[in-house]
Amino acid sequence: MTPDYDIKAMTAKIAALRRDATELKEISGGIEAVGRNADRILACVRMLEIDVSDAAEVLGED
Amino acid sequence: MPAPGVFQYIYGGRTETCLGLERRPMKNGEYWNPILETLPPEKLRQLQLKKFREIFTWAYEHSRFYRKLYGDAGLEPGDIKTYDDIRRVPKVEKSMMREVQGPGKDPFPYGDILSVPLEEVTEYHQTSGTTGQPVYQADTWQDWEWGAEAFAYALYAQGYRNTDRLFLPFGYNIFIAFWGAHYAAEKLGCEVIPGGVLNTEARILKMQELRATAMGATPTYVLGMAETARKIGIDPPKDLFIRKITVAGEPGGSIPATRKRMEEAWGAKVYDQVGSTEIGHWGWECRQQAGLHVNEALFLVEIEDVDTGEPITGPGKRGKMVVTTFNRLAQPCIRFDVKDLIQWNSQPCDCGRTYRLLEGGLMGRADDITKVKGVLLSPAAIEEVVRAIPQLGDEYYVVVTKKGDIDDITLKVEILPEHAGDADAIRTTLTDQLRLKTNLGYHIEFHEFGSLPRSQAKTRRFQDLRPH
Repeated sequence: MTPDYDIKAMTAKIAALRRDATELKEISGGIEAVGRNADRILACVRMLEIDVSDAAEVLGED
Repeated sequence: MPAPGVFQYIYGGRTETCLGLERRPMKNGEYWNPILETLPPEKLRQLQLKKFREIFTWAYEHSRFYRKLYGDAGLEPGDIKTYDDIRRVPKVEKSMMREVQGPGKDPFPYGDILSVPLEEVTEYHQTSGTTGQPVYQADTWQDWEWGAEAFAYALYAQGYRNTDRLFLPFGYNIFIAFWGAHYAAEKLGCEVIPGGVLNTEARILKMQELRATAMGATPTYVLGMAETARKIGIDPPKDLFIRKITVAGEPGGSIPATRKRMEEAWGAKVYDQVGSTEIGHWGWECRQQAGLHVNEALFLVEIEDVDTGEPITGPGKRGKMVVTTFNRLAQPCIRFDVKDLIQWNSQPCDCGRTYRLLEGGLMGRADDITKVKGVLLSPAAIEEVVRAIPQLGDEYYVVVTKKGDIDDITLKVEILPEHAGDADAIRTTLTDQLRLKTNLGYHIEFHEFGSLPRSQAKTRRFQDLRPH
């Protein structure tokens, strides 16, 4: 059975989300509202990594 | 070649055999995350080893408690190369966590076990303290998000969807209890009704008013709520809309007689869910109700022989659970000796998940399995007998004392008012069944219906008052 999802593509998008949220935090200029909301986004990104990216590594699809 | 339906995988240097763990056809729509939940077992073991190394390294590098523990054992992160190496890692007990926490311990109150700067801690909870001084539990926001994620796997597997209106009759407080269910249900898109500071009657009326479709509580409270509902003229299956109940905190969800009582009282499916403050939500039943699935992508559950400490990797033998939480960082939980007794199930689950099943849920605590009159007694066996006798109420308590040199067991139960005249026959049935299931004799005390204590939280029904 062929799964109807593309783990490799998802992993790439998740990495891009991490990059973007990290960069957003870096350029927040100390604005709490930006930095702390970026942290919350990064916590969600970590869940996506746990759910998808970490498995991609063992499945050889990273 | 293994027989059909038998799966083999390499565990360290050995080839292990597990029944029914072959990859089964995926059923999209049934899983919160089919990638992890149907991962082939050999990949799951690879993932577990990778994650174990990561959390071990994190704890070694960030927690003074773990660095000392592992340093004293002569272990460094690079030493964990194979699955077998995991067993070289020292276990942690609750008492060890308590010792490094509290007044005078820096950073207060978590002490040396804390693995992040205190400023990153956003959540405080604590254990109930039923076995001693509570353990303080720190979580970062990411840990908290992870806790909800772990519980989301459970709720989705139990059929929760964005059409559900979940009522949580839970005193939102320092105990972790159903906090995870609340946040997980939100993730799933459910509508969550926080039934916090209301009494039982008010909660029932609110559930009726809002037509709640699902609920989460301890088995004791699920039964107690049904009793209260009937007292105020509400028959839960007929007058309420609850069709799914997730229970936690006590073993009742996996005790068939207790589950049957709950399902009949509510006209709802009841699903067990297990977890703890220090570990997280590590196991749950799916819609098949075939046993507890261990979420093996987020946790490593090992079973050890109670006497020898040797690993039990196959079905059919009960042992002590040792658990590792992979992705919770503020206060890591690595090879935690939980003292709960569990055993692997020999049967696969029809749901298609590759996460292994436990048979019979939590089969009691190693501390609670005690010798009485020279016989090993499991409190869960007493519950199975009491809850299977329909003339008895839901509450019961067991007290073990010593009279002279002889152990004495008193079982306190309530007879339902409509069966008050049948005490002799009930006593005979109870005595026979208890003798059959536990090989022991009991002093049976009948108490007036409604007089034994009712609790909304975890209920400790077994008291051993013998001098030790």
